[in-house]
Amino acid sequence: MRRSLTLLAQSLVTKRGFCTKPEKIVASVLFERLPVVVPKIDPVVYAFQEFSFRWRQQYRRRYPDEFLDKSSSSGKGDYHIEYEPAPRITEADKTNDKKSLQRALDRRLYLLLYGNAYGSSRKPVWHFPEKVYDTEETLRKCAESALQSVLGELSHTYFVGNAPMGHMVIQPTDNAQDSGYKQFFFKSQVIATNKFKIGKCEDFVWVTKDELLDYFPEQAEYLNKMIIS
Amino acid sequence: MFRIGRTQQPLQSLTHQFLQRCSVSGTAKGKGKDGQAKKRSKVITKKGKKSDPEDPSSKPLSRQDSEKYRLYDQCINAPTPVRYLKPKDRAREAEREKLGLLSKGRIREKEIFKKGGRQAMGVPDEPMIIGTPGLDLITLGLVDVDKIPKYELTEEDGKKLAKEYSRVLMRKHRARQAAESNLLRCKKEAIEALPENLKKAALVPDLTPFPAERFMATLTPPIEGYINKIKEAAKRSSGMEKIR
Repeated sequence: MRRSLTLLAQSLVTKRGFCTKPEKIVASVLFERLPVVVPKIDPVVYAFQEFSFRWRQQYRRRYPDEFLDKSSSSGKGDYHIEYEPAPRITEADKTNDKKSLQRALDRRLYLLLYGNAYGSSRKPVWHFPEKVYDTEETLRKCAESALQSVLGELSHTYFVGNAPMGHMVIQPTDNAQDSGYKQFFFKSQVIATNKFKIGKCEDFVWVTKDELLDYFPEQAEYLNKMIIS
Repeated sequence: MFRIGRTQQPLQSLTHQFLQRCSVSGTAKGKGKDGQAKKRSKVITKKGKKSDPEDPSSKPLSRQDSEKYRLYDQCINAPTPVRYLKPKDRAREAEREKLGLLSKGRIREKEIFKKGGRQAMGVPDEPMIIGTPGLDLITLGLVDVDKIPKYELTEEDGKKLAKEYSRVLMRKHRARQAAESNLLRCKKEAIEALPENLKKAALVPDLTPFPAERFMATLTPPIEGYINKIKEAAKRSSGMEKIR
């Protein structure tokens, strides 16, 4: 009777797919800086806009200047300052300085760290800021603490939502310790700064999406789906 | 702060008709209960009782008044470089010209043509710049000048451009929609892969408001220290605040 009960229990457990050992969960953070400048306009789009502007100007009525002056008179308290617009391609672009946030202003930049990651065990690799889930309440708090350990404080970050935006199942390599784990990505954005002090690692870079795919050759396909441009 | 030149602002024409007419029956819009056409409230001016104190045709005009009436005239009959006519109207105008009757619009059109056509009136054949002269899209580097296709200001060129424009934008839109649905799918799969208690926490919607300091992407990158200059200039121009 007892044996059948244990057999039943075991079969139930294996049927439902519970693993006997708790799976390791790692929360990693995709820290992105949103584009600062409007993206480039396609020449076809520009051509059509210009054409349609001129076409409409053809049929527009021309009113006398005195009539228009009354409506567009300057308001009281206007001040005039010489304005020299800042160039969209900064020096960081020309020198290709990957540590600066001023590179590639019309694209998103993602943070990558170089150091000891969880899954690589002692060999330094390029990885996202990450932390193993221990006993915090939610995975988002774990991710926040991960970012905090890198940046020092979270006043200039904004985590988007409570849920992860993607996950990867890392298969255990053939070591003695089976290091299979699940890596969950959380999205967070840079708010209102230009410089960060990145600690807790040997090296860091801010990369665009294409460069990011170079850094992770095997996971490039999934990252391509997870990140838009 | 940056005043856009007058020629760049398209104005609405003043050709509102004062009485709306139904396009088919020619009557005022709508029919009353007994089938009669509805009468909109009209403002009836008393004719003949009190003649205008400044009657333009009879008394000699002061210069201010003549200027005023000239301004009104120019506004009401404002010219356009190219006259817009539907093909039926164009055929009608051609017929009338054969008979020798010329409408005012046709006369004006001929005058404008003599003076040089629409090129003289400000619609050049070469592409115009979009935006204020220092800050237009080409000088800022937003468009590659060499890759812009060449075109004239004709209808079929316009149609070709419109087709290309629509094709390019639709392609981008579809790619973006596909990418976004991929994102959502990744998110759903990730939530499914979480263990039970974390899944419940992840499914709670995060209703805290977005941070106010998140900036929109602008045309040119922000210059450091510029906001202080503006504040100073504003303080100076608004006069001194407190003189105690």
